[in-house]
Amino acid sequence: MLSYILRRIALMVPTLIGMTLMLFATARFAPGVTTGGGELGENAKQARQALEQRMRERLHLDKPLVTQYGLWLWDSIRGNYGESIQYNRPVSELIKERLPITITLNLISSIVVYLIAIPGGMLASIRRGKAFDVGWSLFTLALFSLPIIWVGDMLLAIFSNPESIFDWFPVSGSHATNTVWMTSVEYAKDFIWHITLPVICLSYGSFAYLSKIQRAAMLDNLGLDYVRTARAKGLPPRVVITRHVFRNSLLPMITIFAGILPSLLGGTVVVERIFSISGMGDLVVTATTARDLPIVEGVTFIISVISLFSLLVADLCYMAADPRVSFD
Amino acid sequence: MPVADHAAEMDVADLLRQRRQSYWAIVGRAYWRARGSTLATGWAVLVLLLTVLVPFIANDAPYTAIIHGQREFPLFRYLTRVDLIWLVWGTAVGGFAVVFRLSRRKRVPAEALLAYRTRWFLWLMALATVSSILLAVFKTDKLNDHDYHAMAAQGELAGAVYAPLRWGYAEQEMHPFSMPSATHLLGTDWTGRDVLSRLLWGARIVLEIGLVSEIISLVIGSIYGALMGYFVGKVDLLGMRFVEIVEAIPQLFLLITFIALFGRQLFMIMVIIGITSWTGIARFVRAEFLRMRGLDYVSAAQALGLPLRSILFRHMLPNGLTPVIVSFTFGVAGNIVSESILSFLGIGVVPPIASWGSMLDQAGNPGVAFRWWLALPPGIMIFLTVFAYNVIGEGLRDAIDPKTNKVV
Repeated sequence: MLSYILRRIALMVPTLIGMTLMLFATARFAPGVTTGGGELGENAKQARQALEQRMRERLHLDKPLVTQYGLWLWDSIRGNYGESIQYNRPVSELIKERLPITITLNLISSIVVYLIAIPGGMLASIRRGKAFDVGWSLFTLALFSLPIIWVGDMLLAIFSNPESIFDWFPVSGSHATNTVWMTSVEYAKDFIWHITLPVICLSYGSFAYLSKIQRAAMLDNLGLDYVRTARAKGLPPRVVITRHVFRNSLLPMITIFAGILPSLLGGTVVVERIFSISGMGDLVVTATTARDLPIVEGVTFIISVISLFSLLVADLCYMAADPRVSFD
Repeated sequence: MPVADHAAEMDVADLLRQRRQSYWAIVGRAYWRARGSTLATGWAVLVLLLTVLVPFIANDAPYTAIIHGQREFPLFRYLTRVDLIWLVWGTAVGGFAVVFRLSRRKRVPAEALLAYRTRWFLWLMALATVSSILLAVFKTDKLNDHDYHAMAAQGELAGAVYAPLRWGYAEQEMHPFSMPSATHLLGTDWTGRDVLSRLLWGARIVLEIGLVSEIISLVIGSIYGALMGYFVGKVDLLGMRFVEIVEAIPQLFLLITFIALFGRQLFMIMVIIGITSWTGIARFVRAEFLRMRGLDYVSAAQALGLPLRSILFRHMLPNGLTPVIVSFTFGVAGNIVSESILSFLGIGVVPPIASWGSMLDQAGNPGVAFRWWLALPPGIMIFLTVFAYNVIGEGLRDAIDPKTNKVV
């Protein structure tokens, strides 16, 4: 088992190297660094010069190519992504400020997804082919098809619009402007109040996928011999479902837990933008419009590493959860 | 399958006709049997028609008018090269469909006719491609800076025939954010452009980006997947690692990085969406090729000494096309979502080009009154179009694989 874990981690090294190579190559060879197009005003010229200067430092353009990559990688691993052009501050500092809220949002959303998808999938599997099964799958599929940008707008319009009768939630941010005087309970309340809409917006699309998996896993297990044995023993149906089938059906759900993180991270960009939460997504979008390449590059690096690691964690979880998996 | 059940009772003549029934004919029949896929196809065709014909539907320039004593045709005169390219393709595909439908006889099965017409169709496509390239290279777009509404108000346009909707997608008026009214059926946006007109023109951008970038990822994905599946071993191992790398980076972040580096011209966005979304197709094609590489006809092609290009793309790829077509439709849906998100974030297509995503962006800014006429229509359009392409994909998959569980 230990050897499997080690091997799995060792396998990640080439993937990581490949990924960093790709990111480096896009940053190094993209024309965007040096070309802006057309006549530029004095301000734009200065901005471009600043950008070129920053990128030259970051990419070590005076060294041979292999050294460039080595130094770039070393810098990236140590968390040195250069200095932002908009803020004139190190990118790593900016990321450090903004990463926690993004991660929190994602974790809370994935928990919400699980809390709704698991019971939904279970009920659907128990009432297979009945009205609830069909209705639930149609409902979640419809949710899945709703564009997230539209849902965000509508949530804002309905629940945080002074003209609406359901004006219950704040329009922006992840907490009140002044939090110093708050006790921790009050702060928690305020935080939950602020992130309710963002979490809804981030999670609704994943219900379909996860409850489909939960339903399928339940159905797979319901047909197995041990279920028949349990029923033959005379156990009440509720116990058979909750104690036997449910436990075993959780296996794929555990596996996916880390696996859905990358897709959620994509969603955060939009959600943070709509609800003006200053997280990683908001940072990277603003940086893109301002052509603040060091930020874009640094954020993408961090996010890629995070999602790569979450895939690793997913693998290891799978192994820990299912002793039947062979480790060869 | 009913086809198999019948087979036993068929006489020779039936069997002969049965032999004519190609694989695609069976798939087609299974596809059209589902009502959902019929409706979805209808919507997709409607959006396609809109894409081709939108300059004639929503345009501020009149079809024809007498300007300064001379009869002119402003709408036709200022057609851009993109308009013309869409028209060429629309005429080619639509014309073929109409001729095909008309020339169909009852006794001849459609698939036999299709097989007979394939060569025609390919020639037609080649012709359309060549003329699009010629148009793209040689046609220069004239800037139309006439204000036809002002001209009409001053009585300079006599005997004018207008398009059904008299607003262009970029035409600005004095009243930003005006509510829907008789002049602007769906109101105006922040620079006073007509929302309905932009909604219709947005269909074109959505489809341009959805289709073109999917074609790009289709080309990359099938070449890549074919090579991996055919050569197995080391090529496959290394190739799959690269696929995993691309998949590990969340697509939206990859898109943003590319856009930050390469800029956001329309064509660039198509390419960028294309090169970030090919991994799914590569996986499918690889699996198909792994399955097929041991088959007799492949060995025969190898024994004949055919070049690799011919084995891969003339012999194997047409047989492994099924999963590609399914993932193509899903891919178009995904690309439409990507484009709308990018435009929504303000890093997609450049204004004044109309895009449903950027229209949604203006609908609600925190602290400002909500503008429902800017939020509902594009949201519904995105939803319907994405949903339609997903339903088409599901329908195709069910039709291709009769074993698929029909419960959603």
